[in-house]
Amino acid sequence: MSRIIHLENPSILKILIQTILFCLVISLSAQMVQAQTPPLDESLEEEAQAIDRMIMCPVCPAETIDQAQVEISFQMRAVIREMLAEGRTREEILDYFVDRYGADILAAPPKSGANLLAWILPIVGVAAGLGVLFLVIRAMSARNEAPSSSGRGSSAPLRTGSGWRRSSNPANESAGEPPTTPPQDPELSPYLEIVDRSLASRRGRHLNRPDSGFPGLEDEQDKKS
Amino acid sequence: MGDLGAISLWIALALAAYSTVGSVTGKLRGSGALVESAQTAMYATVVVLFVSTLSLVVSFIARDFEIAYVARHSDLAMPDHFTWVAFYAGNEGSLLYIAMVLSVMAAVAVWRAPERVRDALPYTTGILMLVLTFFLAVMAFMANPFDKLPFVPQDGEGINPLLTHFGMFFHPPALMAGLVGISVPFAFALGGLLARKTGDEWVDPGRVWGIITWALLASGLLLGSWWAYTILGWGGYWFWDPVENAAFMPWLALTAFIHSIMVQKRRGMFRMWNIALINVAFALALYGMFMNRGGSVPSVHSFGESDLGWIFLMFLAVGLIVPFIIFFWRYPLLKSAQNLDSMLSREAAFLVNNLLLLAIAFVTLWGTVYPLISELTSGEQITVARPFYDQVNGPLMLGLVFLMGVGPMLPWRRANWASVRRALTVPATAAALTVVLLIIPSPPGGGLGWGRPFAVAGFGLAAFVAAGILMEWYRGARARHRNSQENYAVAFLHLIWANRPRYGGYVVHLAVIMVALGIVGTAFFNTQKDVVLSPGDTATVENYEIRYLGTTQAVFGNRTEFISSVEVYRDGELLDTISPNRAFYPSFNMASTRAAIRSTPIEDFYVVPSENLSNGDAGLRILVNPLIWWMWVAGPVMILGTVIALWPEPSRVPARAPERAPAVASA
Repeated sequence: MSRIIHLENPSILKILIQTILFCLVISLSAQMVQAQTPPLDESLEEEAQAIDRMIMCPVCPAETIDQAQVEISFQMRAVIREMLAEGRTREEILDYFVDRYGADILAAPPKSGANLLAWILPIVGVAAGLGVLFLVIRAMSARNEAPSSSGRGSSAPLRTGSGWRRSSNPANESAGEPPTTPPQDPELSPYLEIVDRSLASRRGRHLNRPDSGFPGLEDEQDKKS
Repeated sequence: MGDLGAISLWIALALAAYSTVGSVTGKLRGSGALVESAQTAMYATVVVLFVSTLSLVVSFIARDFEIAYVARHSDLAMPDHFTWVAFYAGNEGSLLYIAMVLSVMAAVAVWRAPERVRDALPYTTGILMLVLTFFLAVMAFMANPFDKLPFVPQDGEGINPLLTHFGMFFHPPALMAGLVGISVPFAFALGGLLARKTGDEWVDPGRVWGIITWALLASGLLLGSWWAYTILGWGGYWFWDPVENAAFMPWLALTAFIHSIMVQKRRGMFRMWNIALINVAFALALYGMFMNRGGSVPSVHSFGESDLGWIFLMFLAVGLIVPFIIFFWRYPLLKSAQNLDSMLSREAAFLVNNLLLLAIAFVTLWGTVYPLISELTSGEQITVARPFYDQVNGPLMLGLVFLMGVGPMLPWRRANWASVRRALTVPATAAALTVVLLIIPSPPGGGLGWGRPFAVAGFGLAAFVAAGILMEWYRGARARHRNSQENYAVAFLHLIWANRPRYGGYVVHLAVIMVALGIVGTAFFNTQKDVVLSPGDTATVENYEIRYLGTTQAVFGNRTEFISSVEVYRDGELLDTISPNRAFYPSFNMASTRAAIRSTPIEDFYVVPSENLSNGDAGLRILVNPLIWWMWVAGPVMILGTVIALWPEPSRVPARAPERAPAVASA
């Protein structure tokens, strides 16, 4: 980390030598690619690129051989094209590389054996999440339809009251008015509930009006009404 | 200068630590003076850290190579304006940048905090300053940017050539600011919990800061993709690399948060959920910063590699566990103000949206940790890279786009089927038309969609969302036009102005659709060809033809550039002569490419040199990337939408008035 490279006089000679060496390496590999890669027809080339994207470059961090522009990935790409030209299938080619480099040469875990878990768990997770969400929403909306005053203590209806009131006037809210705080007087709660219920029904009708599906207009209408 | 910077760093650490302890104990003991002085200390950190930052900048400009950080990340040949990039090119400097940003954000957040969160503010301050203390302590004890070398080298190592790109001026700073910025809405939420203010007090500042950090992360991600597209030399823009993922996951959680916080703002619901969400986003942001320095997974982006990983991991564990303990401790106070009315409501759509966003985040997290799990359990080494994420997250993203079209069309509380049908007729028709056009098997231009069901679905859904938004804009403007005789343009502007959060959101949605066009276009319809050409050779890709003219070399102090000349023809007509180039940096033993891109809204023609041969031949990668232009244009559009959504309301009503209004009268 603390090693400093001295380039007092970034000598052109040195750079030139390095450049030439670099080019030499590159040219050797490139000529190899040229020599080894027979031009494939379009559909085979497409398949070859698809395979390129499924195989990691063994020497570069987190890059596939499609991305990495280093010698070994040029060579591996050439091998893939050669094998395709010989009529081998995608599976055969992938197996060939797995045999040589191990399973981690594949850019994604194989969909078999223990690694199936990697693929199945997300799907199961999302499905379970959707299921739970469905139940939660159903429970919540069912609870809402039940009479909320009975046996639920005083705090719940109170809060409900404050919330109803707020939601009944979106025009005000969109103008940035802070929501009001819940009323402190428990005596008020039964009264508030009646107001809330009537508001709810009014609002329900309101929402059934033809244009109410478009929230942009909803606000306009609320302001007018 | 270095000494001044080091000293101010220590002062900042002392101030932040004092501010943390002071504001919390002050609040607990009811000592207003202590709270006040702790807050002053917080404001002071901004000044002190600014001095520290400035002294590092001056050291860079002066090329003070005695300072190890300066020697490692700059050299005499570096133009001065790259100081901006060199500043955060390594671990130490990026930590200083993060601390600077955090202290400014904390100060502004506390200074501008609405009256209603006043009670919880000392806790909020304490949390923000605790996070700042962490970063400052890490810097002071383990990664000091002002550490000196035992000798003064004649020249520095120079700046990483991959960073000398225009995108690098904004991509890392935006991402880092976004990641650390999540602390702010998090601190408001947690501060409220600690102060037993468990209602909706924190919603406004939480939402505003959530959106700000969201936009920072989003622009950071887009700029990073653009950088990768133009410089990494393989023609792609996103690779589900572990570090990309680390920034992507908190962004996803924040996206969920800025949606569901609207439900709380409008309907007083999802109180627990929002706090849980912002906790998750904060933990993911810490994870992101952990991945960036000494994370366990190899990546092309881990520029700040260091051995700080364990410290960050510990802080991550604390940042994840403690908030959730507090959360469960306060749990009884967090009852929703109300319940959901119906499955068919905007609230329900938001919940599904949240689920999908979190699902994508956790699939991504799962993919990142699975190799570790596999190695620990079966000893088998496994890679999880792009094909996995494409296949698992791709469908989830399509689902999100669908919700983006449906959600905003649903009214709050309860929709009935008739109104939903009315609202969705136009978008559904647009989607159906798009699908039909894509699969009609009559050339030219038709039949593109055959065999690509995901592409067809993607474009269909994009049309669905865009049509829905445009239709709503049109109907809203028409309604105003009829009522007030304003012309359509004025009516439209007034419409947007009257409800900025919603219409700003629509603009952002359009930007997301533009990104989606780019993703689907390149993922399913791009053409790629690798060729090795001698001067004078031609190659054909689709209806383009290129003629490679040759390569010239230019030797610079720190690099040798190979500049190729390529003529581009389309349908036999010369369009342009472009110069993709490739530079080799001997001191880094690293090559860096600059693709030559002819960009149009329909498609990019992209040429990047993959190798230059000594005999003058060149290996070129040629790509035709349809629709990717839209992805880069989406950035400014998205920022515009964010600005609209955040534009402050005029203070029409005195802030406290509604509180005194009679409870029933307002209904």
